[in-house]
Amino acid sequence: MAQKPTISRTFIMGLWEENPVFRLLLGMCPTLAVTAAVKPALTMGLCVIFVMICSNIVVSLMRNLLKPHLRILMFTLTIATFVTIADLFLKAFVPVMSETLGPYVPLIIVNCIIICRAEACASKNGLVISVVDAIGMGVGFTATICVLAAIREILSTGNIFDIPVMFKSFVPWAAMAMPVGAFITLGLMLGLVNIITKEKEKNKNSHSCSVEGSE
Amino acid sequence: MLKVKHFIEQSWLLIVASFIFGLLVAVTYASWKPRIDQNEKDKLNNLMRFMITDANSFEIAVRDAEINTGKGKILKTNIYKALYTDGRTLGYAFVAVGSGFADKIKLVIATDIHCEKVFGFKVLASNETPGFGSKITEDFYTNQFKGAPATELIVSKTGDPEIIDDKIITISGATVSSEAVVKIFNTFIAQIKQKLEEQGLI
Repeated sequence: MAQKPTISRTFIMGLWEENPVFRLLLGMCPTLAVTAAVKPALTMGLCVIFVMICSNIVVSLMRNLLKPHLRILMFTLTIATFVTIADLFLKAFVPVMSETLGPYVPLIIVNCIIICRAEACASKNGLVISVVDAIGMGVGFTATICVLAAIREILSTGNIFDIPVMFKSFVPWAAMAMPVGAFITLGLMLGLVNIITKEKEKNKNSHSCSVEGSE
Repeated sequence: MLKVKHFIEQSWLLIVASFIFGLLVAVTYASWKPRIDQNEKDKLNNLMRFMITDANSFEIAVRDAEINTGKGKILKTNIYKALYTDGRTLGYAFVAVGSGFADKIKLVIATDIHCEKVFGFKVLASNETPGFGSKITEDFYTNQFKGAPATELIVSKTGDPEIIDDKIITISGATVSSEAVVKIFNTFIAQIKQKLEEQGLI
């Protein structure tokens, strides 16, 4: 029988074990497109958190009324509504960021992470677990793209949040601000995460072996 | 009748949700629209003021001037009049649009009162390649337009960018974007001049 998800476990899953970018490889479009600088990456992350929390709440509340063949349509309708609201909010209150992100805010509608969480979690669980799942996944996604953006911004401009952080003779790598920089950084980060995960598993196995041996 | 009943049974949630969500978006849009419009207006005014620094205010001189952007495509743009505190006209500004390397480039162009000299241009919107095409906003390129004649401009890969004439030196690594800006200038300037002449403003 499947174990009932706990609140803390659900939250932590999104941060590392089921991190949407590094473990599930979802939401690759914004991950590659808006990580040239930290500010737009952070804005995108916050938008995704808002949309995911709202859509998970709505999907969770109507999960018992959903007809199986209409569920994807309902998810898309729900997500599109909250993405439109997020897009309007940026245009009204953070117009500079709205221009920087351009079409990538409306494109959150087709972000696989949100539809995946609606299908995998919110349509099967209660309100609290769905909200916690949205926060965990959203924070995991935001933290990941911010780390990628920080690496790219530092290497492509020598600055972070417009504050110079590199030594004076540093020559900015323009390629890091371009798509090639996004692919290289993401690839290296994925490799690093895989190495860390394997090392952790190895340590876990050797620890359990030594415990068994001592017994 | 049974078919209708079956249809409603299956889709009532979708229909109700569509109405509720539609209403939610409509209410949000209606409440934030004045702010969104104001932001757009402010941005345009700031860019125009940046080029015509002495201007106290801007008002529309020609509304919805029709510009032929080629291949029979007509684009409507407003021509703004820059006014000094005493009401004197200092120059004209307008929004010009054209295709860039990646996407459309939207410029704000300012000219003198006779539409003979360009005061400069500012990029209103562009998705040109960061680090390459995005350099159309940098001084090396934009300064070449300040004081340039408001006639057909020529693109050149070599030359002295310090000399202000009808020759615009392209940005190394961003030839397409550099040429696109000049093309937008050449498409718009002559027609804007004609519109101002038709209205008896110059």
